[in-house]
Amino acid sequence: VNAIFHAGRAHWPLRISATVAAVLLFDQAVYAGQFLSGTFAALQTHRDNATYAGLAVLATGICAVLLRWPGRGPLWPIFACLIQFGLVGLQIALGFARVLTLHIPLGVLIVLGWIHLTVWSWRYRPAPSAVAQPPTAGADRTEQAVGS
Amino acid sequence: MTLSRRQILGALGGLGIAAGVGAPLISGIRGSASTGELLPSRRPLPRPFAMPLRIPPVLTPTRSDASGDYYDIVQRPAGVQILPGVRTEIWGYNGRFPGPTIRSISGRPTIVTHRNELPVPVVVHLHGGRTPPEHDGFPTDLLYPVGATMGAAESHHVDATITHGTRDYVYSLRQPAATLWYHDHRMDFTGPSVWRGLAGFHIVTDPDEQGLGLPTGDRDLPLMIADRSFDADGALHYPSLDPTLHHTPGVHEPYGSGVLGDVILVNGVPWPVADIPAVRHRLRLLNASNARRYRLALDPPPPGGPALVQIGTDGGLLDQPITHDAIELAPAQRVEVVVDFGRYRPGQQVTLRNEFGDHTTTPVMRFRITHTAADHSRIPDQLTTPSTTAPTAIPVTTRDLHFRHSTVHGMQGWAINGEPFDPSRSIATPRLGTSEIWRLSSDFHHPIHIHQANFRVLGRGIGGPGPYDHGPKDTIDLRPAEQASILVTFADHPGRYVLHCHNLEHEDMGMMGTFTITR
Repeated sequence: VNAIFHAGRAHWPLRISATVAAVLLFDQAVYAGQFLSGTFAALQTHRDNATYAGLAVLATGICAVLLRWPGRGPLWPIFACLIQFGLVGLQIALGFARVLTLHIPLGVLIVLGWIHLTVWSWRYRPAPSAVAQPPTAGADRTEQAVGS
Repeated sequence: MTLSRRQILGALGGLGIAAGVGAPLISGIRGSASTGELLPSRRPLPRPFAMPLRIPPVLTPTRSDASGDYYDIVQRPAGVQILPGVRTEIWGYNGRFPGPTIRSISGRPTIVTHRNELPVPVVVHLHGGRTPPEHDGFPTDLLYPVGATMGAAESHHVDATITHGTRDYVYSLRQPAATLWYHDHRMDFTGPSVWRGLAGFHIVTDPDEQGLGLPTGDRDLPLMIADRSFDADGALHYPSLDPTLHHTPGVHEPYGSGVLGDVILVNGVPWPVADIPAVRHRLRLLNASNARRYRLALDPPPPGGPALVQIGTDGGLLDQPITHDAIELAPAQRVEVVVDFGRYRPGQQVTLRNEFGDHTTTPVMRFRITHTAADHSRIPDQLTTPSTTAPTAIPVTTRDLHFRHSTVHGMQGWAINGEPFDPSRSIATPRLGTSEIWRLSSDFHHPIHIHQANFRVLGRGIGGPGPYDHGPKDTIDLRPAEQASILVTFADHPGRYVLHCHNLEHEDMGMMGTFTITR
């Protein structure tokens, strides 16, 4: 694990997973708009994509664990992902039950909260103590390591 | 300039996000004009505008006396030519698709004796007729084929009036002049039966309307627009679960949302062409499609103003004409327009186009202007006196009806207020002689049809009626996620009727409700 998720790069899985999940969560609004415009097949896509978005949120939660161990990052993203996963489950249940008075506001809340987490993941830099290399060169080398 | 690896990665990431959101967004951005799935034909389609328009023959009464006009219709299979070079088996009234046109005079009883020589039971509904309940074609009032013995499983509906071989439908027609139509209405199997051809015009005239000076005779054209698909052998192609139409209702997925054909038939002819003189014509446009909506316009538009002068709708004439550049028509709706072809030159070709269409479903038919001719027709500014058409009753009740996708008996289906069709349970019990406000709401396109009672559209959403909502209606084009208020008047007969979605796949999969008009 340490070879792949080097402490200095442990925020990268979180960034990528959170971004993928953000796209899938936002696409829920796209598909909703389409079936509200009469495209019946978009209802099934909305239903299927809810599952994929939920799985992406769960995967991001695992990445948040890696951010903490070995990344020595903050603990709260783990809880944020768990709460989001719970909200997505609730959102799916509300959708099936057609409680749209809650389904639509909760959908907006989930997307807002998730974009907040995603933006944070891209702004986050590991603390210097977590980086093996000297602090002055550490950040750039991390980028290169991922790119190569 | 050199890009850092970081910038390249950032750009790629940005592109990925744009694709992940943009691709589904752009690919579906048009939404859908009709709720349904296209069922492609399995043979090459004919060239449009190659076959002449046919007008269904007007049926002659077998006898007429003081008690009314009597007609005989035999429902039977027939092989007809729809596509060039191949026979297509249809189910037809007198073996025709469309069936023969019946013309009745308002207030004069019309008695139609139907004989069933088809392999399945039938039900005949006069769409738009203000008919007593026993003759309205309640979906379980089956007319069994000649010589058929009724199976035990087929007689389980309480209160159903079952007949064998032949039966009379008695229409009082105490209603103003209007373009009505008759079609099959058997519970669970209306979609495939109409698809196979069980539909025809029933035109009601009255002396006031005949005296208006509107175009008449061969300048009064009933046009039944219906989309269909064809199998490789030329047969009508429809995705029935049970092609015998005896046992299992419904269609294969993904067609449960509605079946859309890729051939547009007008009076049973694919994309026909009509040679007409350069004079005013009255077009009685009927959308007899199972699920397809149309937005009809003339191409090229005539010089000097709107092409279509609307004079009538489902329930008869408007008070005053309304002009349109295009008219939207949901399944089962009718619109009557006068087109002044005198604004075109002889030799010109004018195409009736469907602006909601795609590829093969955009052209509908073509008019070829042959010559100029004398035209004594006119469009009066006042078509009816408002007192004869406006409802007078004050609404006594407001009801909410939600038309939505649902799970029906464990299958994907459609429901009204969460419940599928139950012939023995009324979802509304209005009193005879009263009016009610019904608030309708939808998830997808649902053309909602109410039997027996005409209505007025009061408004859609937080606005007033739409441009095609004026006049007396029996079917409203409810669009996705829309709310509409209608004022329904129960003026004529007490008894048990149905209201339903006229997307026939939705109707067959549960979206129908019984209502009872009480004394």
